[in-house]
Formats: sequence, C-alpha cells, structure tokens
Amino acid sequence: MLSLVQRNEDEVLKETRSIIERSCIPPGISSIEMPPFRDPKTFLAQYTKPDSAVKIKFNRGTTTLAFKYGGGVIVAVDSRATGGSYIASQTVKKVIEINPYLLGTMAGGAADCQFWERVLSKHCRIYELRNKERISVAGASKILANMVYSYKDMGLSMGTMIAGWDKRGPGLYYVGDDGTRVTNNIFSVGSGSTYAYGILDSEYKWELSDTEAYELGRRAIYHATHRDAMSGGMVRIYHMKSTGWVKISEEDVTDLHYKYKEAEARQ
Amino acid sequence: MECVIGIVGKDFVLVASDTNQAHSIVIMKQDDDKLFRINDRGAMLVTGEPGDKVNFAEFIQRNLQLYKMINGYDLSIHAAANYTRRELATSLRSRGPYNVNMLIAGHDEHDGASLYFMDYLASLVKLPFAIHGYGSFFGLSICDKYYKPEMSEAEALNLLNKIVAEIQKRLLVQLPSFHVRVISKEGIKDLPSIYAKYQGDQAVRHESMEI
Amino acid sequence: MSIMSYNGGSVVAMAGKNCVAIASDKRFGIQYSTVSMEFPKIFEMGPQLYLGLAGLATDVQTVSQRLRFRLNLYELQENRHIKPKTFSSMVSNLLYEKRFGPYFIEPIIAGLDPKTSEPFISVMDLIGQPCISKDFAVIGTANEQLYGMCETLWQPDLEPSDLFETISQALMNAFDRDSYSGWGAVVYVIEKDKVTVRELKTRMD
Repeated sequence: MLSLVQRNEDEVLKETRSIIERSCIPPGISSIEMPPFRDPKTFLAQYTKPDSAVKIKFNRGTTTLAFKYGGGVIVAVDSRATGGSYIASQTVKKVIEINPYLLGTMAGGAADCQFWERVLSKHCRIYELRNKERISVAGASKILANMVYSYKDMGLSMGTMIAGWDKRGPGLYYVGDDGTRVTNNIFSVGSGSTYAYGILDSEYKWELSDTEAYELGRRAIYHATHRDAMSGGMVRIYHMKSTGWVKISEEDVTDLHYKYKEAEARQ
Repeated sequence: MECVIGIVGKDFVLVASDTNQAHSIVIMKQDDDKLFRINDRGAMLVTGEPGDKVNFAEFIQRNLQLYKMINGYDLSIHAAANYTRRELATSLRSRGPYNVNMLIAGHDEHDGASLYFMDYLASLVKLPFAIHGYGSFFGLSICDKYYKPEMSEAEALNLLNKIVAEIQKRLLVQLPSFHVRVISKEGIKDLPSIYAKYQGDQAVRHESMEI
Repeated sequence: MSIMSYNGGSVVAMAGKNCVAIASDKRFGIQYSTVSMEFPKIFEMGPQLYLGLAGLATDVQTVSQRLRFRLNLYELQENRHIKPKTFSSMVSNLLYEKRFGPYFIEPIIAGLDPKTSEPFISVMDLIGQPCISKDFAVIGTANEQLYGMCETLWQPDLEPSDLFETISQALMNAFDRDSYSGWGAVVYVIEKDKVTVRELKTRMD
C-alpha cells in the first residue's frame, strides 16, 4: 500500500474529477476517492478470499423482495448481516427510505447500498427543487444505475430494488452493481431470493388485497429465512401507496415460525 | 443441472425426475430415466456424473437382487438406504470415488412409505420431502409451505406440479419434462409426465423504460 | 470454504456435580442451504455414555457406526460396559488409524464412570489427540461462540437442573450467532440412575 503515494497527485485528481463529472456528482459536495491503482476489483478480491492472510469480510447474504399489485408496491426484507458464517447482526435495516415516495432495498455490500442510495436521495431532492415536481421512479432508478455504472468493475457490490409511486402509478426497478436496470412486477434479490420466489410465484396475482399482499411478502421472507442460513432476524414490510410509503410491520421470524406451526397444527 | 424430487404421502412416495441427459453444452437425450428399481416397491433416483450414475446404481440394484435370491426376501427401504450409504462412503475414500446424489424411495411393511436423501459425500437423511439439484433452491420453500403429513395422491401431485412449474419458470437451465411415479404397496406406478407450459407474466403492466 | 463447516453443526458438553450434560443442534445443511432439521449428532454408547460428533455429516455417520461396531465387539468380549476413559481411547485409536486421510469430524465423549459415577468429558481433534476436560468441551461451527458462553456461564458443582439450564443457554446463545448451526437442539443430562433427554425450542432461521 505504501507505493500508492508515489503516483502523481495531479493524475489522480484529474481522474477523480472526470469520474465525478461522469457520475453527475456535483464537485465539492460529495466525491469518492478513486483507487490509486489499476483494477481495484482484483486488488480487493485478494483480501476478501477466505484463505487470505488479511481478511476483509463484507456483510452480505440477504433476502429482499418487492412486488407490484393493484394496491401499490410491497417491499419486504429480512434483517440479518453475516460476515462469513458469523452472524454480525439480526437487526439491520435493509429498506432505505430515500424520500416519502421512494424506497430502496439493500443486498450485497451494506455500505455500497447505503451510500449510493443516500446520494440518490440528494439527486431526487435537487430534481424536485429544480422542476417543482417529484422525480419519476424510472428517473430515480436511472440516476442510480448511471452512478453505479460509472464505477463498473471497481468492486461495488449491490443488488437493489427501487420502489416508488409517481404519475404512472406504482413503479419497481432492479438496479445491479454491473449497471443493469430492469423493471418487472416481481423481484427478489439475495442469497435467499430463490426460496422467496418459490412462495411469491405460487400465490401472486395482481388482484391481491392489501392484507393478502402483506401476508404474501411476510410468508416469502419467512420461508427464505427458514431454508437460507444467511438470511434471518425479522421481517420488515413496507407498502408503497399513492400517498407515499407506510411501514406495515416488523416481526421476529421466530414468532412467525411458531405462529405458523400452531396454525398448521390447529387445521 | 439435473433435478429429482420426492414427496412422502399417506401410504406412498411420489417421485419425479427430469428427463435431460446433458454432456457439456449438448442435450444427449431428452427422455432419460433417472429411476432405478431396487425391488418391487423401492427405487432410487440418481443424479451426478453420467458414467458413475449408471454404474453405481446398477451395482446397488444387482446386489439387492442377489440379496433377495439368497435370502428369499427383500431388504427394507431403511436397510437398502443404509447399504447404499456404506458402499458410497467406502468409495468416497478410494482412488476414484463415485460422484452421485440420490433419493431412495419406497414402501415396505415395517416403515410404510419412506424417503431417503443422500448426497455424493454419502450423508444420508430421512426426509418427508426432498429435492436434489438446483431445483431444491426453488422447491424447498414451496414444500415447507404446502406439505402436510398424510397427503393424498392428488394433494401430493398438486404440490409436485407447483414445484415443477416454479423450476420451469425460474431456473435458468430449462428442464422441459419430468417423469412422475408413485411408489406404494401396489408397486411402482407410472403417472403422466409433466411438460413445461409457456408461462407469460400473469399481469403485464410494465411501464416503458425511458425516463 | 472449509470441509469441516460444509454441513454445519455444533456440540457442547459440561460437567456438573455427579452428572454430565451433552447437547447439540439438529441442523444438516449443504453449505448455506438447510436440508434437514432432524440430524442427530449425539449417540448413545452406553447407559451413562454419550458421544457427540461435529463436522462433515458423512463422517459423523461413518464414525458413529464404526464405533458402535467396535463397542459391540468390546462388550461381547469383556461382558461389561465400557468405561468412558477406555471408550475415549477407542475413539482416539479409530481416528488416528486415518492419520493420513482423516475423518473430518471432532468428537466429544461425555459420561459417568460405571463404577465410581465420576463425570468424564474428553474432546479430540480430527486425528484423535484427546484432551480430558474437568469443566466443559466444545466443537463445531459455533465453537468460538460456545467457548465464550461456557467460560462465562459454567461454574463448578452444578446440580442436574442447573446444569441443564446452563448448557442450554450456552448452546442456544452460541448458535444464534452462527449461521451454520441451530434449527432445533437436543440436551442430554446424564445422572447416576437416569438420563434426561430434552428438545429445545429454538430460533428456526
């Protein structure tokens, strides 16, 4: 790491500035120091491998989901953070409240999601002040996608869903660390996502009532935490309505498990 | 890439296996049968390395037949599963271990319907439902939600259809058809195969992608 | 990815006053995917003798079965129950036989001496180096967490009911910080004239 100092400072500055311009971060307000070496992804990878002497463990392993239906968008997430097999926390907030009409979810690197969605919220606010109207979900997710795309192949790790409500109604986009941006009715992201999809796909329909929709999101996360070792803690549910988001519930999955088991036994 | 599924019901085991036999990027056979009969009321569903699969399965199959010839009666499903485990565990620490995963399913007088799950390391567990392959990542949560002990054949088939539909919808590798069988006191009975249906989005209300 | 944590699982044993306890979780997983929640890791090897194995599931099964075989032969030959200390040597021998291609498990032996009823706990590495312990022994994917719990909760001369509480709290709070252990737990409290088996209600995530 000592050799980093040897690089021409001007060169680094120039590079940083060009990145800032490309990623539409106004200079002087917020900027990210650029890595002073080539291929940062490979550089970092050698320290994140489990057998390396210096070990950097990122918090990862997650189940998050969101789906659109007649009543808006449901966002449901678990709350576990793991570093390797160690459970670092069971109370992580994986829904990021960008503004009253936009929610983001967190999967992959916690810091990356947290930071870039904070930057996104700033951009959305600036848009509102300039244009005297709220930004569309499509627009907001595009800003995020453009920002992370400019850092492509530098080792950012995030799989995020942007849910919101705008003139077009409910909006839902997936934005990945490779710069992908797609929209769909159902998304699930993280190590437990396959389990969540299993539940979601078998019960989902557009005509779901609000309570049915909450229960579907809750069930999907619960079943994912049950089978996926890297997901767990509690289920947090948000509902995006025409009037903005509302937090619906926060329940420990252990309580849910024994509640469901009891209900099953009664049948 | 391969997928085998087993569900224990009231007095039967419902088993299904995908029908692809792949080599490299090529599908060599589209109506492959991964089921090997071990007796009149027992079978194993085997996935893994193509050569090992048939070799190991037939080795077990023939030895169980020999056992019946010598003793005049079959090994129970529990005993057959444990015999298979021992053979695989011994091979694991040899120069060329078999690379096979399997479900052992059947019906016998002592235990009724039973299902055993064994991976290529020869870890054997008895389960009410089991899936081998990538399909398990999609199917297990569906089983957790809808499985009930003592299910009827129709209920079990309904659950199986849910699992296969999900695999065919979400798994990148397409598994277009599954052989389905019921193993009960009456023997191993073939049911109609399941074929993939086109699953478009039920309610396509995508907005345009422009800002 | 270590082979020792491929399937996950943890075992702990503790000594009390004229009693010992051994407990384990019930998970069988394949890496981060949980396959079964009914996988026993503790095996009865005598009226007052139990064996706990953590590590690769296939070897947990192989070793427990091979030990049961050797123990049966021993009991037929000697016409008496084995002493925990002797059984510990038997385990050690079996493991060292595979010195250059080891079983990927670590064992805990917990029991009471058939004659003196003295508590006995021993723990080994995967090639059979035994370590007889007066207080407690821990193995498995949650071993670091278990050490912390046992160091703080264990005290000498616990009565059976207190020992049960202590070992249960130690195990549950340890594997609640380990993603590869949990999904149910079982506790054996071994006394001179009885063995109590209890299942614990645990987190299932």
